[in-house]
Amino acid sequence: MRTTRRSFLKTSLKTSVFAGTGLALCFELPRSVAVDEPVTFEPNAYISITPDNVVRLWITRSEMGQGVRTTLPMMLAEELSADWSQIEYMQAMPGGRFKGIRLRTSGSGSTVGTYDALRKAGATARQMLIAAAAERWRVDASSCRADQGSVVHLGTGRKLSYGNLAAAAARQRVPDNPPLKNPKDFRIIGKPLKRIDGNGIVTGRAVYGIDVHVPGMLHAVMARCPCVGGKVASFDATKSLSVDGVRHVVPVKSGLATGVAIVADYTWAAMKGRDALKVEWDHGPNANFDSDHFLTQMQDQLAQPQDGYFVRDDGDARKALGSAAKKLEATYEFPFQAHAPVEPMNCVADVRKDSCEIWAPTQCPEVVLSETAKMLGLPEDSVKVHITLLGGGFGRRLFADYVPEAVEVSRAIGKPVQMLWTRSDDMRCGFFHPSDVQHIAGGFDAARHPIAWVQRSIGSDLSMFGFPTEEQKKNSRHYFENGLPWGSFDNPYNFPNLKADFIPLNSPVPTGPWRAVFYPPTVFARESFLDEMAHTAGQDPLEFRLRLLEPGSVLNVGDAKIDRSRLIRILQVAAEKSGWKRPLEQTGDRLWGRGVACNVYDEDCFIAQVAEVSVGRQSRDIRVHRIVCAADCGIVVNPLGLEGQAESGITWGLSATLHGRIDFKNGAAVQENFQDFEVIRMDEAPEIETQIVVTDHPPGGFGETAVPPVAPAVANAIFAATGKRIRSLPITPEKLKALA
Amino acid sequence: MPAFTLNVNGSGHLVDADPDMPLLWALRDFLRLTGTKYGCGMGVCGACTVHEDGIPMRSCQLPLSATVGKNYVTIEGLSPHGDHPCQQAWLAEDVSQCGYCQVGMIMEAAALIRRKPNPTDADIDADLSDHICRCGTYQRMRRAIHRAAREVHKT
Repeated sequence: MRTTRRSFLKTSLKTSVFAGTGLALCFELPRSVAVDEPVTFEPNAYISITPDNVVRLWITRSEMGQGVRTTLPMMLAEELSADWSQIEYMQAMPGGRFKGIRLRTSGSGSTVGTYDALRKAGATARQMLIAAAAERWRVDASSCRADQGSVVHLGTGRKLSYGNLAAAAARQRVPDNPPLKNPKDFRIIGKPLKRIDGNGIVTGRAVYGIDVHVPGMLHAVMARCPCVGGKVASFDATKSLSVDGVRHVVPVKSGLATGVAIVADYTWAAMKGRDALKVEWDHGPNANFDSDHFLTQMQDQLAQPQDGYFVRDDGDARKALGSAAKKLEATYEFPFQAHAPVEPMNCVADVRKDSCEIWAPTQCPEVVLSETAKMLGLPEDSVKVHITLLGGGFGRRLFADYVPEAVEVSRAIGKPVQMLWTRSDDMRCGFFHPSDVQHIAGGFDAARHPIAWVQRSIGSDLSMFGFPTEEQKKNSRHYFENGLPWGSFDNPYNFPNLKADFIPLNSPVPTGPWRAVFYPPTVFARESFLDEMAHTAGQDPLEFRLRLLEPGSVLNVGDAKIDRSRLIRILQVAAEKSGWKRPLEQTGDRLWGRGVACNVYDEDCFIAQVAEVSVGRQSRDIRVHRIVCAADCGIVVNPLGLEGQAESGITWGLSATLHGRIDFKNGAAVQENFQDFEVIRMDEAPEIETQIVVTDHPPGGFGETAVPPVAPAVANAIFAATGKRIRSLPITPEKLKALA
Repeated sequence: MPAFTLNVNGSGHLVDADPDMPLLWALRDFLRLTGTKYGCGMGVCGACTVHEDGIPMRSCQLPLSATVGKNYVTIEGLSPHGDHPCQQAWLAEDVSQCGYCQVGMIMEAAALIRRKPNPTDADIDADLSDHICRCGTYQRMRRAIHRAAREVHKT
């Protein structure tokens, strides 16, 4: 069983049902057939090999940019000894052939969660193909070898392609424990391979959810209450229905942000119909919600004398802090954040009398299937869910709220419909990364050795995501077991006295996992404060960290085991590659500085980053020039993909560091589009240099790992440049000027 | 409603629709050319970029009434076999992640290298910074544009 935090992302939605490990194989038993009948060889759900030698591999995750359509087949093809240039990929669908196999895509777990199962599936097929060839040649299987899509007889050099062997392989017994390759013999895993599906993307042929068209389909957009939790009081459809092309006006009660759907022959007519709709909103109980006020409420909890939920309690931190020769404390703030994938939420639903078909860009197809079946009172076998490409996921598409809206409208009008969220809907009416406050106090002894660390986290417990339940909340140990909040709970540093507690304070804002989930705010605070402690102790921030990470020691916390030696090595690699010890040259009008931060993502991914920034002496504008990233996440399946995820995670983290925030006034999100929710663009994108340290540990996930260290590395670099410490995101020239 | 003749990728298409309707929705919903993407609807993300008489434009900001007499090229018409130097360079540099914004980026980049056969980093910043890639593929894009420019010189 892996750590509870990963299982949290696996299972926390009560409606989702998984087999757990995804190891279920053997769906289609070998069929009894005549010798020469053309038969497709399908030893398990993941692989089919046709007599005309097409090797099809099924993708059991959603592709949202993290590269699963390449990485997952690499694992299958490796053990199958397939010819990489020969394979075709197929997108899995929930249910049917994939019943019991996890398709949910979350928690940076696609490689981690499939590595064993896919290797076994590939090895199973390979052994059966070899057995088939041995039977044909009447030789011992041990004298045959699978290589590049064929089986070869070593003694005679005879060779048969997998397609030639398909029918015979299908008659072989399915082995229980086929031998796996020794990693030193890998020919595909570990190779930098380009995206298998790149051509469709650059030619515009790739099909995202928004591109789906089915015959007779109408287009819908919705008028939604801008206030969180608001609903329709009344509406008059007359003017909307008079817009050319508008066919129906349908109130929608399912989903998250309810309202009125305008259904038209084409999208623009639906949008015009929405503009024309006369609607009165019941703004509901949150009409006065204000995120600035909520921030104050969270800050008020800092002074609460009693402990929150314990998440970690080593030694006696309060006592050590009380007797410390030198004490330091600081508070850090993290605003609400939107996911803002460039493809807004959308779904096509075709509800028939006894069946339903869905096309959706989703990270949670099992939930889509089960919820749709439940909503329509249909058996799950009567619902088909097609997973399209996702124009970005980032955790937003772990919620399927946009699916029932489309289902409800299709059912109401009796036609297939595409529900499209506008950018404003997407920015204002979805789920958000929660706003958090972190307070940290640190103590030194008389020799300025760090002896105490107390971190208090205040914010949402992501209860909108179903975790923890009200029942679980009564037991504070539940937080400990789930390691909430990540980053504080699994603080890797060796403080003799360390305490971490958590005070959940939920706002009415729907919150959910955003890339790296809880880590970004806790790690921003932790790594910034370490920097503050290092400067207080008069030590180099990198050396200070290394001294707090005892070589050879393993931190056991909850179910997590963190090997500190791996983090030490990664910090050293980042230091070396970045030229940490070489001072940066100061220029006339700009102040330059470097900052370091590191993190352990989910116990098995070790990452350190060094940011190089400059700040205008007068203008205080901030430029992040270069980020050096070193990472050890064990065996790397596709180094080229992993580097891409480092670049992607760093850019994501930098958007939140320098720009990202969603404010709420009068219960509604203020920011509506990319002109007021700014993200990093080409002119601000730093050089990113990634150094992967491959070790023989099992693969760790890397989709989110690079996000958390960015903000503290940049904040620490800004401090190195200017002597000013910004403790709230985003870090802006205005905030720097205010400190001047 | 008035009918508009849209010249797209070398052929004329009759579209009977509201003159205010942005070209984006005509391309997507009427011509089923879905390579051009909707991202923001207000010309700030670049996902809907097409060429109007060779100039990169945001199709979400072009009402049909303004398209009369113009020639448009979308990603589907950028090259006969999907092999424009930018498309090839994008594959060679393994740029795409989710890929949703990339078509707009490629259309912008293709126009840039036609206008400036040797674009500098500053040129790339100037033209591509009107676009958003939430996956953060910017440096690979930069490399791809330089690569495409080199390829164009070779031929």
